[in-house]
Amino acid sequence: MTNLAQLFFDAASLGGLYAMAALGIALIFGVMKLVNFAHGEYIAFCVFALIVPSTDAVAVMFLGHAPALILIPLMLTIGGTIAVASEYAVFRHLRRADPVAMMIASFALGFVIRNALLAAYGGRPKAISLWPGLTTPIDVAGASVPLLQLIVIVTTLFVVTGLALLLKKTRIGLEMRAAAENFTMARLLGVRANRVITGAFALSGALAAAVALIMVTQTGVADVRMGGQIMLVAFIATVLGGLGSLPGAVAAGFLVGIVSVVLQAWLPLETRPFRDAFLYTLVIVCLLVRPQGLFVPTSAKPRV
Amino acid sequence: MTKLGVFDLAVRYGKVPAVNTLTLHIAEGERVFVSGPNGAGKSSLLKAISGVVATSHGRIEMDGDLLTGLAPETIARLGLSMVPEGRDIFGSLTVEENLRVGTGLRRDAEAVNADIDDIYNSFPILRDRRTATAGALSGGQQQMLAIGRALMTNPKLILVDEPSLGLAPKIVDQVYDTLCALQEDRGLTLLIVEQSSLRAARVGGRMVLMRGGRITSEGNAADMVDREALTEAYFGTSNTHMEGTT
Repeated sequence: MTNLAQLFFDAASLGGLYAMAALGIALIFGVMKLVNFAHGEYIAFCVFALIVPSTDAVAVMFLGHAPALILIPLMLTIGGTIAVASEYAVFRHLRRADPVAMMIASFALGFVIRNALLAAYGGRPKAISLWPGLTTPIDVAGASVPLLQLIVIVTTLFVVTGLALLLKKTRIGLEMRAAAENFTMARLLGVRANRVITGAFALSGALAAAVALIMVTQTGVADVRMGGQIMLVAFIATVLGGLGSLPGAVAAGFLVGIVSVVLQAWLPLETRPFRDAFLYTLVIVCLLVRPQGLFVPTSAKPRV
Repeated sequence: MTKLGVFDLAVRYGKVPAVNTLTLHIAEGERVFVSGPNGAGKSSLLKAISGVVATSHGRIEMDGDLLTGLAPETIARLGLSMVPEGRDIFGSLTVEENLRVGTGLRRDAEAVNADIDDIYNSFPILRDRRTATAGALSGGQQQMLAIGRALMTNPKLILVDEPSLGLAPKIVDQVYDTLCALQEDRGLTLLIVEQSSLRAARVGGRMVLMRGGRITSEGNAADMVDREALTEAYFGTSNTHMEGTT
């Protein structure tokens, strides 16, 4: 029983993290048909914004000094800002380019951000202690759960509900959904392309910042490469969920997290190092059976 | 007064010309049908006017303002609306959400609600299904929704691309009846692509015949159909497509 509860909290918190990262990618894909591979670098950028730029081995807190009530909105703003800035600097000029060209541009942008971080902070991972209190375990249903895991689960639910409400109830949400389905038609009805795209990038960047905060608290490390790993998983989740489907991205993000944790717990000990091989084999099987994704929107049209 | 002026327009896809040296004037309140075979450039003309495709030569004016080079959303905000070929309704949105997409440019919530009510009165079936997903509507209902949606931006000029495509003749009658009634009520100017010249003649208005990206002839729709029938009687072929062909 204890094990099951533990497993549940591990799976739900990892799944939540993946779901938020996947949402960030799906949002942009929805309105622009762009798979933004720089998303992982937005996450890394946000993590490094917490510390003072230097190539020293020891990290000195910079924004990380701020109390949570200021730090969280500040980080969300920073994430949103770098995402919107990259849209202005790069993607805006490629609106009429084909999706492959935009995707390659996003790789290039990712390299630029990563190397800028390397130049400013050095290549060695640095230990960061942000909100250390959150990793002390507490007892829930017989399992010993770090407070952070609960916060991650609650945050994910909060973010997903908030986003659903935003999309369903607000003007910009309606415009985003219409634009995701048929951008040209939305524009013919007076929907401003720039407003919708900027909104999607801002939301996506804020999600990247939320992921960054969670990751850095969980791992206690700032590493330039940390964005790449989660980006890969998140991208797989968006494909698995059906590219462009926001509920699909959330569901598939959770699914990948859950399967990953379950495999880690239940695989025979000697095969555990190959957990990811098992995970991605399952992904391949899923895509062979349902190439359009597991949770495809009713309006989905093949475009890529 | 000229509502829409198209001067020496050319549209190219790569090197392939779709519209060539086309000049067309539409008066305020007028109803103009564009007819002609597939590939004549009818849809390209509409897309160029609404700003969806770039023009390679010439200019387009509405009320004397230059439209050429403007973004589709800017043109929409100037009072031009489009019902595209294939309708392009937002299938995952509800019927009412579809109607509301085009109201972003309006600040008058009361008038917007009144307009929605108006459209429901014109198309009662849409009221019954206002919370349904638009993708679940039949073809005819989707066409009605597409027309209603185009009206929500409060336009003065509406471009309609093949409203009869894929619809039963009875439904087409209904669509045209409503379009004409709306035109009357709101003083709209209509530019309609219609493959069937017979249909155009029956509805009434000016007809412009296109072929190879150019206007080959124009005149009163009914007169032109008579002439067409005469040509057919003597020569056994017709330049234009009759009803029922696509």
